[in-house]
Amino acid sequence: MKAKAARVVFGMGIVLIFLLNTFLLNPVALCAQDTTAMLSGTVTDHTGRVLPDVKVTIKNLATGESADTQTNSDGQYTVSNLAVGDYEVSASVAEGASTAHVTLSTGASQKSDLILNAPPPSTEAPPVATPPAASSAAAAETLPEAPSAQKTEPSLEDLGFSKTETQSNAAEQALLDKRTRMLRIHQRMGLITTIPLVATVILGPGSGGKSEGTAIRDLHVALGSLTGDLYGITAWYAIRAPRIAGTEKRGPIRFHEAMAWIHGPGMILTPILGALAFQQKNNGEKVHGLASLHGPVAIVTAGAFGAALLSVSVKF
Amino acid sequence: MLAVPSLFAADHQWVLKQSTLTYHVSHTLHQSEGVSHAARGKGICHEGQCDFLIAVPVKSFDSGDSNRDLHMIQVTRGAEFPMVTVRTRLPESAATTTTIQADIEIQFAGQTAHYKQLTFAVVTKGSETELTGTIPATLTDFKIDPPSLLTIPVKNEVPIRVEMTWSPQ
Repeated sequence: MKAKAARVVFGMGIVLIFLLNTFLLNPVALCAQDTTAMLSGTVTDHTGRVLPDVKVTIKNLATGESADTQTNSDGQYTVSNLAVGDYEVSASVAEGASTAHVTLSTGASQKSDLILNAPPPSTEAPPVATPPAASSAAAAETLPEAPSAQKTEPSLEDLGFSKTETQSNAAEQALLDKRTRMLRIHQRMGLITTIPLVATVILGPGSGGKSEGTAIRDLHVALGSLTGDLYGITAWYAIRAPRIAGTEKRGPIRFHEAMAWIHGPGMILTPILGALAFQQKNNGEKVHGLASLHGPVAIVTAGAFGAALLSVSVKF
Repeated sequence: MLAVPSLFAADHQWVLKQSTLTYHVSHTLHQSEGVSHAARGKGICHEGQCDFLIAVPVKSFDSGDSNRDLHMIQVTRGAEFPMVTVRTRLPESAATTTTIQADIEIQFAGQTAHYKQLTFAVVTKGSETELTGTIPATLTDFKIDPPSLLTIPVKNEVPIRVEMTWSPQ
């Protein structure tokens, strides 16, 4: 009885080990049905006419093994159960040949159309219907015979471009990325600054002049201070953004920067004059002297700031 | 003796004499265009088929606004991938027609996009052949994040107007 039980336990152990080995330790086996891929396509001549009975060879570039098939009456071919990997697909007739490279991934059903230079065979076949619209990058496999694969095609060197023109410059790209990041913050901060700026200007007349109340004046001062702080941050991101050597400034950016020479000093002068005016008002005096320029300077500053904002936002 | 001239007759080349490439960007607030005249191109013909390569530096596009151009270079990774290349194959007979339909391959911003059966108008003037047409490019074709202005992104469609004059060499 004990021996029988031991045999059952041993047998179950063997089955368990087999299952573990099959499904846990060997995940490839678990996915065995998905490790193959299918390749299909259409062979046409350069006018788009489908070519029947053309030999298509699919060669595994890793193993060197190849398989042959033939196009059907619609010029189509299909090869299934291909191992994943890189393949060279070639089709040839007496007058011409075409080769393409495709990478098959697990479980994929990939298309690789081939265009031969050869004139169409005598067998009449309907032309391939091709949509006139552009395809996306994802349709790369529909043009496997991309001209770049041809040895006769010209190269960039043939066109006479210098190495500096064609060479990748990662450092400059990093600089451009940093510049864009900083100017994006500059732009957003500029927009945010506009809100307290406009509110401060609106409250201005009520906080000075004939008004004796301090609540509006205090709010005006608080909003003005907030505007100044936000403006400082906005300006910092513009000033610190990297300059790109060899770039001549053209277009609205020149006006935008010119405006900074007005609203920049204005943003410094306005709170100084405002402090003087605030002190005079708190002393019960009428705002006088230099302090009386606080309002006009603030208006010019806000106007220049708005013009700078609009100059790079709206096309006039 | 007869073989020598026929060999020369079989292969010949086309050279891009002048070109205007214009991209168009649409934004809610305004439209903008960038123009380049700096494209260079060559076509090598063999056995009735011509392989064309046209290349243009990304930096050569001018929209009239240096700030916008720098943003364009940044967003298209123009310093990393400084050239836009266009490849196509056409039959030699295309030069004698009034329109051609071409499958083209564009490498730009580190991506490759294919456009099938694009129609170009062909006008032959003496020995020169003028080609005009529009490539219906989109930002997603090249995996370019749409740049934004005032937090509003530009439209995905960036059609490129092509005007080229080719001459046989």
